[in-house]
Amino acid sequence: MHNEHIEEHFGNRNVVEMNSDYYMVAIEDYPKDGWEKFKRVVRRAFRGELFVGLWVVMREMIRFDIHTVQYPMEKMPIGPRYRAVHEMKRLWESDTERCIGCGLCEKICISNCIRIDTKIDENSRKEVSEYSINLGRCIFCGYCAEVCPELAITHGGEYENASDQREHFLTFQDMLTPLDTMKAGTQREFEGFGAITPHEDERVKKTPLAY
Amino acid sequence: MNKLINFKIDGISVEAQKGETILTVARKNGIYIPTMCYISKTSPCASCRMCVVEASGMDGFVLSCNTPPVEGVEITTNSDALNHERTNIMKLYDVNHPLECGVCDKSGECDLQNKTLEFNVSRQHFSAKDQLRPLKEWGLINYEPSLCILCEKCVHVCNEVIGDDAIEVKFGGYSSTIIPKNSQTLDCTFCGECIAVCPVGALTSSSFRYRANAWELEKVPATCAHCSGGCPLEYETRHASLNGADEIFRVKNNFEFSTLCGAGRFGFDFDNRASKDEAAFAKALEALKNAKAIRFSSMITNEEAYILELLKEKLGVKLFNEDARKFAEFMKSYSSLSGKLHHSGSTDAIRSSDAVVVIGSRIATDNPAVRYALTTASKHNGAKILYAHPLEDVLMQNVITQMMKHEVGTEEGVLALLADAILKDADLPQEERAFFDALDFGYLYAETNIGEEEFELMIRSFARATKRTLVIGNDLMAHPRASNIAKLAALIEKYSDFALVVVPREVNTLGVSLINSLDVDEDIADVVGYNAKGSFVISSLEGANLASPALNQQEGTFVSIDNQLLPTNVALAFDGYTLNDLANALGIAQEQTIDYTPKLPVSAGFKSVAFDDLQNFLSPLGEDRRGYILDEIVCEADGEIEELDDMPEFNGTIIYQCDPVLQFNSYTQKAEQLPKESFLRGSAQFGVAAKISDGDKVEISFGATKIQREFKLDSDLKGTIALNPTFDISIDASRYRFEKSKIVRVVS
Repeated sequence: MHNEHIEEHFGNRNVVEMNSDYYMVAIEDYPKDGWEKFKRVVRRAFRGELFVGLWVVMREMIRFDIHTVQYPMEKMPIGPRYRAVHEMKRLWESDTERCIGCGLCEKICISNCIRIDTKIDENSRKEVSEYSINLGRCIFCGYCAEVCPELAITHGGEYENASDQREHFLTFQDMLTPLDTMKAGTQREFEGFGAITPHEDERVKKTPLAY
Repeated sequence: MNKLINFKIDGISVEAQKGETILTVARKNGIYIPTMCYISKTSPCASCRMCVVEASGMDGFVLSCNTPPVEGVEITTNSDALNHERTNIMKLYDVNHPLECGVCDKSGECDLQNKTLEFNVSRQHFSAKDQLRPLKEWGLINYEPSLCILCEKCVHVCNEVIGDDAIEVKFGGYSSTIIPKNSQTLDCTFCGECIAVCPVGALTSSSFRYRANAWELEKVPATCAHCSGGCPLEYETRHASLNGADEIFRVKNNFEFSTLCGAGRFGFDFDNRASKDEAAFAKALEALKNAKAIRFSSMITNEEAYILELLKEKLGVKLFNEDARKFAEFMKSYSSLSGKLHHSGSTDAIRSSDAVVVIGSRIATDNPAVRYALTTASKHNGAKILYAHPLEDVLMQNVITQMMKHEVGTEEGVLALLADAILKDADLPQEERAFFDALDFGYLYAETNIGEEEFELMIRSFARATKRTLVIGNDLMAHPRASNIAKLAALIEKYSDFALVVVPREVNTLGVSLINSLDVDEDIADVVGYNAKGSFVISSLEGANLASPALNQQEGTFVSIDNQLLPTNVALAFDGYTLNDLANALGIAQEQTIDYTPKLPVSAGFKSVAFDDLQNFLSPLGEDRRGYILDEIVCEADGEIEELDDMPEFNGTIIYQCDPVLQFNSYTQKAEQLPKESFLRGSAQFGVAAKISDGDKVEISFGATKIQREFKLDSDLKGTIALNPTFDISIDASRYRFEKSKIVRVVS
């Protein structure tokens, strides 16, 4: 009965036909009455799986063949699309902030952890006067980076944000690429959500100019 | 009877009334025709040409916005050719339009954005040499010419609805812009309606600039709390700063059909912040228990007024509110002759009139909603507007067709003469006819200083009018002869085809006058003031002993000039105590203030409808779906018109209590953006007569009140009447606005 249901479910998606590597997992039937339930408990309790696990640990300990990363002395490399603590990028051309204060990140944020306040600055430009992300609320979904029209807010690889309190705020300046990094030319572009696709330059249509 | 025109749009049979265009008929029938410059409340701008349609038997396209249909014509609103034409228009609109949507204030609610996406214009196909078009700063309004698409909506609204006529198009092909008319900078009443109608971010509010985006703001539908016009508006709120509480960022209106003045649009930050102060609450209870009277202003909701009425019964106190009491008395006299409780007209009636008489009000500043209705009537119906007042008003000069300048204090005589002229051929009962026959015309013409020929001119110019309205202003409520003036107004309404509009002073003067039984104000001790003076003050203004919520922090209802009950909602939270909390503590138990909405007195025309069942919006076709119109109540008509009193004489310098543009009361005074100039403004002639000159400090005393003002010469004024603002002083509403006063120069 169960298999029928699963077959129909996958059949619609043509999984079986497209890829023959798919196979059905043998699932034992659910117990139907109290006696069968009791039998399952007994079976599972006396199988000795616990000792199998203990034996594996003991074996590897004796062999000294340990693969554990010695965190925090050792760290694993983080993938370029990993979504950890946010970064605020600068423009390559002028080193100014990319953020234009459109507020889309605040709007799209599903855990409601971004707050932005803007004002007009002395050059009549829109300026971000206040910006904060509450990492205690953030679920690192990446929507903010995806919606950002300027590739300004992105995720970075910094995942060590443990804190002794739930609320943990990041401000604009915390996230902004330091000017030294810009001078050194080592600001890293984010390749994850919201990043421009490769060969984007070839697809841009240029505006005709009258002069 | 109007003949209907039958024709077809996209194969659907539709009917048009005389005067309707193809576009209006299409909209009525739910057929979509794209437009960029069309706005329902003005005549078609016809500048965008997006609304083109094909008509059978016609070569080329016709503009649906300004073409009336003919019998049997078949209209096509959608074809490849039309789509091509419209797409080309959009392509041209987008040429050199700055790509700053990310920061533009209009982004997210921009017609150009919408239509560009609708017609799938994804790139710029044409080029034009861009030019330097710097931002213009016009005070409360900013103009960014590079974003302007020259739809001309702003110009049409300013001219046809507002009446300021302050901006115009400077034609010059690609370099056309909007410029202030006959002035270097914008010189107008700053209603901000141009900001509202601007489809792009060209005209923006300077204070709102770059502070928030359309998608961040929460919209709260409400009713304007500044005058009795009861204009619909939306407060737009958002948190201010990172940890800040919510603030109102701006006010918007449904500009397609309704209009807002600058006080409504820019004067929104009058909210009162407070927390629960238990000590003050206990003191307030004590004060109420010991009070002999409660004095309150009409800037409260109907529900609060009702609670006060219950408190009056429970505590046996008197209720003082001179403004509403004077209005109630006026309407009582009116009812005693007309036999009904409410005046018949409304701002809508004024808007559709082709002849209007305005008496007893400097209407442009007293009630902008009425002013806009008059402007619309004048521009769209060619209405003849007679304005009877001792003072000319520059703001009204484009609209008024006949200025009837009368002597101060002679309003009773003027109205009697008006009634006589209007009712000359009416079928009057004997008593009333005898009243008019007994008038001493020679004396009246002499005292009012209006010639017989002025009334003849009025009758002649009104002769062809089909819809007429009489507007009675606030000067007359506190006139010593108010009762007889009300009866004269009732006579005109009863025996002629004039509709009558009586303009209440404050936002809910009318509601309070219907709900409360008011007592004559006495100067006694132990008066609790509710938004008014008293020995213990509960108020949403500064200096209160117990803080109460302002009108943008409350839900409740008002009664507007149209006798319409209008709901308003909470834009900002209030954490302190409300009047209902006090009432609950005194044993008048009801969980919410709005639980009183269905309990409002049916005898005054209220319906027993719960607050949450009240609608509050304008339909897509502009029908008003806000609250309800009060039921007409018939009452006994046992009053009789009295003989006219001798006309009083006002000689020398006279001071008229009159607020400047955009100011109404202590709440507009609180608003940061509104100008707060509190000069005594008068003409050079006034200066000579009062022996004061520009910049002099003067002391003005009326009755027991003394105030100090700086005198300012105003070249727009004439004669020996000066204007004294009242928004920053508490003014006794029971006193005639031209009341005799003394003016002395303060020597410093």
